[in-house]
Amino acid sequence: MYAAWSVKHKPQTLAEIVGNKEAIEQLANWVKSWETGVPKKKAAFIYGPPGIGKTVAVETLAHDFHMEFVEKNASDYRTEDAVNRFAGLASQYGSLFGGRRIVLLDELDGLTGKADKGGVKATTDIVKNAQSPIVLISNAAYDPRFTNLRSYCLLIEFKKPAVSEVMKHLTRICQSEGIAAEEGALKFIAQRSEGDVRSAVNDLQALAQGKKSLSYSDVSWLGYRDRQESIFNVLRMIIYGKSCVSAKQAVNMADVDIDMLFEWIYENVPAHLTDPHDLAMAMDALSKADVYRGRIRAAQDWSFTRYVIDYMTAGVAMARQKSQAQGWIPFRFPTRIQMLSRSKVDRAMQLSIGRKIKRRCHISAVRASKQVLPYLRIIFKNNVEMAAGLARWLDLDEEMVGYIVGSEEKAGEIAKLLS
Amino acid sequence: MSFEMWAEKYRPKSLVDIVDQKEIVERLKSFVKSRNVPHCIFAGPPGTGKTTAAMCLARDLYGQVYREHVMELNASDERGIDVVRETVKTFARSKSVGEIPFRIMILDEADNMTSDAQQALRRTMERFTETCRFIMCANYSGKIIEPIQSRCAPFRFYYLPREEHDRCLKQMAEKEKVKLSDEGLEAIFEVCGGDLRRAINTLQAAASLSKPVDAKVVYSITGKASPADVQKMLKTAISGDFLEARKQLRDMIQKYGVAGSDIIRQIHTEIFRGEIPEVWKVKLADVVGEIDFRLVEGSDEEVQLSALLARLVEAGCDIKKT
Repeated sequence: MYAAWSVKHKPQTLAEIVGNKEAIEQLANWVKSWETGVPKKKAAFIYGPPGIGKTVAVETLAHDFHMEFVEKNASDYRTEDAVNRFAGLASQYGSLFGGRRIVLLDELDGLTGKADKGGVKATTDIVKNAQSPIVLISNAAYDPRFTNLRSYCLLIEFKKPAVSEVMKHLTRICQSEGIAAEEGALKFIAQRSEGDVRSAVNDLQALAQGKKSLSYSDVSWLGYRDRQESIFNVLRMIIYGKSCVSAKQAVNMADVDIDMLFEWIYENVPAHLTDPHDLAMAMDALSKADVYRGRIRAAQDWSFTRYVIDYMTAGVAMARQKSQAQGWIPFRFPTRIQMLSRSKVDRAMQLSIGRKIKRRCHISAVRASKQVLPYLRIIFKNNVEMAAGLARWLDLDEEMVGYIVGSEEKAGEIAKLLS
Repeated sequence: MSFEMWAEKYRPKSLVDIVDQKEIVERLKSFVKSRNVPHCIFAGPPGTGKTTAAMCLARDLYGQVYREHVMELNASDERGIDVVRETVKTFARSKSVGEIPFRIMILDEADNMTSDAQQALRRTMERFTETCRFIMCANYSGKIIEPIQSRCAPFRFYYLPREEHDRCLKQMAEKEKVKLSDEGLEAIFEVCGGDLRRAINTLQAAASLSKPVDAKVVYSITGKASPADVQKMLKTAISGDFLEARKQLRDMIQKYGVAGSDIIRQIHTEIFRGEIPEVWKVKLADVVGEIDFRLVEGSDEEVQLSALLARLVEAGCDIKKT
């Protein structure tokens, strides 16, 4: 059976949580203080980097204290209205059966932009009127938007756990999965994770799942790759996936969005599928995934995303028929993304010239930049007189002329004719 | 020589001036005569006169003041539902002041509208028929939702036949005092198919280079305007180097801004020209067609074309074996 180990081996009790003992004690004491009446600070504001157990700490606390646990994260509650609907829960003393209730508002930094207008203010109001303990979680506590909200909260910082503590957690997982792991191997994974326990567990799963033992040499070739290790594991699960399910599951482990993951796969597939038939199959799967992306845009129906995922993961995984593993080939960052951002300025310029053409030529700016601009390039490079005439007719500015002609000298000549 | 884009300068101003698409023009003339126009779809490949026909119809109908009664909107640039809800609706419901009680909205490249926007448009078309008639121009009428299609009179535009194409370019060359050789003309037709806008742009670009426009100049132009390196890329792919071929493709698209549709058109031509076993040409043409179709539907030209390159690598490998 396949399940993400980061979920399967999630701590069930406070004692199992990796590190952050002081912070957890602080949190537990604050919750206990509710026994003797509503404390001055009605909310705890937990902050710290991702993957270190902030959410799970609150979950296990509720479990250990036998409290009802109510959770909302930023994707559930966004606008002022939505928050207010949720507010009722927090304003009551306890649950229906007399037990206490703990209310968690997760991913507070997700409250952004125009769509969440009033969200922070509404959250502050809930805290002010709370009759049950409220816990807020955010990666950044010192965001200026939270200044007012902070003053009503007990601030609790979660820090990255030490390597030894992450190792303890990994050891426990290996025991329960029946994997004999060398200490050196686990230490290596723990170090690479830089305190992000969740990503360490994901790494471990990608490397050790289905194995009986894990040695240092199994992991040592990974090398350090700062925050790219989790995407690397995900790619491995897709490109070398043996079953559709596991390849598809890999998407959930990726900490990049679908489009970015697509780019990673698209970039790396050719080097890892050496057989031409396999490669053609894999590229065909990506092409079909892309067709569905087009359909999503055309129909504005995001439910088609599941087919994009099918093709880009399972489709790619199943393409591998004859390709032999070629030893260690590094995964590369999508070069297309680098090129795209580099040529962003170019494309902006092409489009603004396209808009000028559109005003004269009954053609969309997008199409003009692709279909008319190339001809302008030729004319501008070869015939200064005609170029000047066209520049005037299209009302192009100096910068645009310079861009089209691509040489300062020629641009100067054209400018002279224009003045 | 004049200093405008010739494609605009010589764009017909009245239905009378339109050289081809005779049946369509006749029907449009009858609309002008009866002073009534239904909602229309003008469907057909690029450069066949769809927008021109729409503009001419409007001009013939309203005369010199046609600009007050006509709005032209480009769906590629403004494709979302908001445009339909705001811009289109505002225009469609305001009453026309002239003797003709309705205005005309020309929606260019309408097949690029999102289906949401098309759904919204459907209601607008119905509610404001009294005050506004729509002309939708599209390359693929299939991408226009059926409810809209059923509300419109369909007109299908075709590529210009060779004689019309030649006559048109010759006339233009004469007026612009450009010498255009028969081989030059032949080359333009071969490169552009019957796409007249493209043909005129090619002629103008060629004329900017040298006075007599011959085949050599035309090919050198289209080499620059459309991908110069398609041939090289195909060779690279068939020899088995996918990564290098993809890199060349990427350069063409990103650095030189070549359109994917141009690249695939050229690949199609090259496959039949190249030194590939005859049976394979047919097989590959099938693949090219499939990818071309996906290009229309997909969202990323490079991804689609590199899937085609992967097929070429595969084919190259199989050919070697036989």
